[in-house]
Amino acid sequence: MNQSFSNIRSTLILVLILLSSFSLHASDEIKSITTTDDSEIDIRIFMPKGKHSNKLLIGFACDQGSSTAEEKTSQSLADDGIEVWMPDMLSAYMLPKVRSSLSDIPTDGLVKIIEEAIKIKKEVYLVASGPDTELVLRAIADWEKNHAGSDNLLGGAILMFPRLNKSKPEPGKAPEYQDAVGKTKSPLIVLEGERTPNRWGVGHLTNSLKKGGSTVYAKLIPDVRGYFFKRNDPNVPEDLVTSQMSGLVKASLFFLGKTHK
Amino acid sequence: MNVLANTLKATIKNIVFASVVFALSSSLQAAELKKVEGDVATPALKLESLKGDILDLKDEAGKVVLVQFWATYCTPCRVEMPSMNNLIKKLEAEKVPFKIIAVNMGETKEEVQKFVDEVKPEFTILMDEKGENVQAWNVFAAPSNFVIDTKGKIRYTLYGGVEWDSEEITKAIQDLAAES
Repeated sequence: MNQSFSNIRSTLILVLILLSSFSLHASDEIKSITTTDDSEIDIRIFMPKGKHSNKLLIGFACDQGSSTAEEKTSQSLADDGIEVWMPDMLSAYMLPKVRSSLSDIPTDGLVKIIEEAIKIKKEVYLVASGPDTELVLRAIADWEKNHAGSDNLLGGAILMFPRLNKSKPEPGKAPEYQDAVGKTKSPLIVLEGERTPNRWGVGHLTNSLKKGGSTVYAKLIPDVRGYFFKRNDPNVPEDLVTSQMSGLVKASLFFLGKTHK
Repeated sequence: MNVLANTLKATIKNIVFASVVFALSSSLQAAELKKVEGDVATPALKLESLKGDILDLKDEAGKVVLVQFWATYCTPCRVEMPSMNNLIKKLEAEKVPFKIIAVNMGETKEEVQKFVDEVKPEFTILMDEKGENVQAWNVFAAPSNFVIDTKGKIRYTLYGGVEWDSEEITKAIQDLAAES
């Protein structure tokens, strides 16, 4: 009898622990959007708490299954009044959670999400990191093409350590970028780690991004390497910046907001 | 049935991707020397070394020079440095006029000295703390390498980590030296 009671108690404790840890990172609601090719994209929505801002952030479109830092950041942003949408693009298109899948994601899914977000009547921004930035630029360019004249409805995008080279770097030659670079008009901010060789390409990339008409800001984050919040071997500054990533995003939104009309 | 097929396809893609990543990470040999076609001007390179003396690339005419742009946080740079030490010894034994100049990309002397004490490169380290030479040489990644012939012309470039003491690279440098 005692043994059975103990088992039930252990099970209940386990369930409570699981439930409480889940609620730490769970979104407030899941919204589904169907694209023109009948793919269904699930979007985790983090509703703003406290004093609402007029900003909505579509974030981390492809987290490749390792979204702990991104979820915490989304929660923290929501706590500060910013609504965050986290679409699961890879699952929607049945793609494996690897980097090479990103280029396989059709643009229209993210365009549809941008359109849905704009209906909320807030300033809409996007954020992506690494190679995911290509999808975001591609979607913004397509959206702008379809909404000529009303492209001020989109506030811009944060590109965290963007990896947009078309091919392997060649010493002595300027990089060639993917086709989506230089096709947008919306304001952009590039964030790059100070301790990555890619920092030396920030100026060149910024100039290439401007070619479509975008106002582009670029900032180096001191003492961190690229992909700092996805690393298995983070150092102290990287842990610190990861824990304060929502502040970094808010500062970036401030810059983009200055340009957004 | 379709879901099962898609899941299987995704699993296979994951396995293939993991194999490729493993193959790339377990070997430094993936990169190779790339011949420079046409007449490409060699940018100037005059910097203070970690030891405090000034080195000018112009003064190295008559030697084959490997100019490498590197950083302490670049993992392939760290891994390949012992093979660069070996290459120097190998070519010294054969009396091939050869020098390695490793230009650090924008870090401080303290950071670089710590790395040097640990990895022990046996070649000249130049400090480009402001990154001006990184820009002038059009370097956007690390390690970025330029092999310069005895007349000061860039003959090969190479991006990424490599075993510098390999037969192929040693021969390429011997051949350049023999041209003079």
